[in-house]
Amino acid sequence: MAAIISADGVGKTFRQLKRQSGLAGGLRSLFSRTYTEIRAVSGITFAIEPGEAVGYLGPNGAGKSTMIKMMTGILTPSAGALSVLGREPHANRMRNAREIGVVFGQRSQLWWDLPVRDSFALNRHIYDIPAARFADNLAFLTEMLDMGAYLDRPVRQLSLGQRMRAEIALALLHDPKIIFLDEPTIGLDVVAKDAVRKFLARVNRERGTTIILTTHDLVDIEEICPRLIMVDDGKLLFDGELTRLRADLGSRRRLTLEFATDPGPLPLATATLNRDEGAAKHYLLEDEAISLIDVLNEVGRGHGLKDVKLEEPDIEEVIRTFYQNKSRLAGASS
Amino acid sequence: MRAGAYPAFALTAFQSRLAYRNQVWASAFGELVISFAFIAIWTAAFAGQVVVDGATLPEMITYVMIAGLLYWNTDRLINDVGEAVRTGDITIFLLKPLSYPASLLATHFGHYVFDQLVVTLPVLLIVGFSVGLLPPASLFHALMALPFWALSWLMLFTLGTLCGLLAFWLLTAFALEWFLKGIMALASGAIVPLWFMPGWLSGILGYLPFAWVSYYPTAIYLGKLDPPAAFLYFGIGLAWLAALGGFLAWLWSRARHRLIVQGG
Repeated sequence: MAAIISADGVGKTFRQLKRQSGLAGGLRSLFSRTYTEIRAVSGITFAIEPGEAVGYLGPNGAGKSTMIKMMTGILTPSAGALSVLGREPHANRMRNAREIGVVFGQRSQLWWDLPVRDSFALNRHIYDIPAARFADNLAFLTEMLDMGAYLDRPVRQLSLGQRMRAEIALALLHDPKIIFLDEPTIGLDVVAKDAVRKFLARVNRERGTTIILTTHDLVDIEEICPRLIMVDDGKLLFDGELTRLRADLGSRRRLTLEFATDPGPLPLATATLNRDEGAAKHYLLEDEAISLIDVLNEVGRGHGLKDVKLEEPDIEEVIRTFYQNKSRLAGASS
Repeated sequence: MRAGAYPAFALTAFQSRLAYRNQVWASAFGELVISFAFIAIWTAAFAGQVVVDGATLPEMITYVMIAGLLYWNTDRLINDVGEAVRTGDITIFLLKPLSYPASLLATHFGHYVFDQLVVTLPVLLIVGFSVGLLPPASLFHALMALPFWALSWLMLFTLGTLCGLLAFWLLTAFALEWFLKGIMALASGAIVPLWFMPGWLSGILGYLPFAWVSYYPTAIYLGKLDPPAAFLYFGIGLAWLAALGGFLAWLWSRARHRLIVQGG
């Protein structure tokens, strides 16, 4: 099957005006302006098949939003070739816009003062959705996202979780082939996050809508997206399955052992000591095969062990580990 | 996209205003108080004289009422555009298959109709029945006042949008808004008709686009311009609208270019 989105060496460089400090600098900048070039995205290459769900992951400032903006046609790439649904998105903004849906976690597309239903009705006109199709979709989305109770309430009265569900429904009413979600779970509580994730996974499975999702939250990726594209500093770090990333990285879990009193230095073969605070010792478990039992067996009795905490690596940790192992991974991810 | 989406924008904007009932009452009441204040000022200014500079007191009262009706408050428009620029929400409009300026025009037309129906019309009716208003000077002037009315609103929309859009470069629409308000108070003729101003001043202001907002439409209604002059000034007004509209289109394409190349 032909790729629904393909990026070939896509780059984006912003020119930023260099502000000079002080009054003299300010006056000077009236006459001569100097710019600094900022590379937000560089040399990104990937292909996404119809029906895929892809997590686009990276820390703040990694170029995630820039890439989303380029794919949705509201930003032009400064290098490389980008094709969405067989078209250059920025050159065909209007046609592209008809076939995609976009949700920004931090921006609302709903009318603040009006009932949710009215914003939906306006979208029916904007996207020229046939009445029957609109009614079907509205019924489906209302049921799936459990919006029945607040469809007739003004948006300003909704909770963040309710509003986000409405935003997602709004972006899906016109049956887009691709839906882009920029941090859709940001600021939501655990229950709301879960509802959003389950719904997106189902839309992807049952309707075959291609999903591109940016997030900080690894759980989003685990539950919705089998495939993960990881970027940092504008560059592609990893493209593949999440499970493979963990396996490749041998992702380091953090282990904290708390003792009643300081047992003195306690080097272990199964875990690497990372930080020693006396009674609390922090280790890293480098090897996936090593279990907590192995470590506890090695520690043994007699040290007055009070508490044990084992943490899965968070995204920052994954990326940190990734950097350290980059050379080892260079072969594996190609 | 079907053209049908634009009326839907106007309707949606109109509906959104119904959400704030108290605001409606407050604006209508404020408008009424201001109207009676103006009527009192002009009554005092005439001080028993029948004709001042070729205008009678009933003409002046009708003038301030109609000129005030035409001088629509552009705060909401400037604020909407300025906010969309400042917060970057303007990209949301670029994500939809529609033209931002056209959807803006439709949205604010909805607001305009709401303001006229709910605020201005009741005030006109109250003043009409209590103080009395003059009818149009003739059938010609009545018919001619309608296209002048449309021109007046489009001029206001264009000026307001320009003001808001300049926030792209100046990062704040606030200072410009005050500038526009100051100019409008004097040059649109919404408060004092140009015929009361010194010749040199009315000579200048009479050819600036602001005068088409309040002064010319009201002067037409009162029959102060004969038919050839009415057509001539309508033509000049159209030319101004085209020039400002062209400037707006250019500015918007610059802004869009900057957005899609520079990311705002």
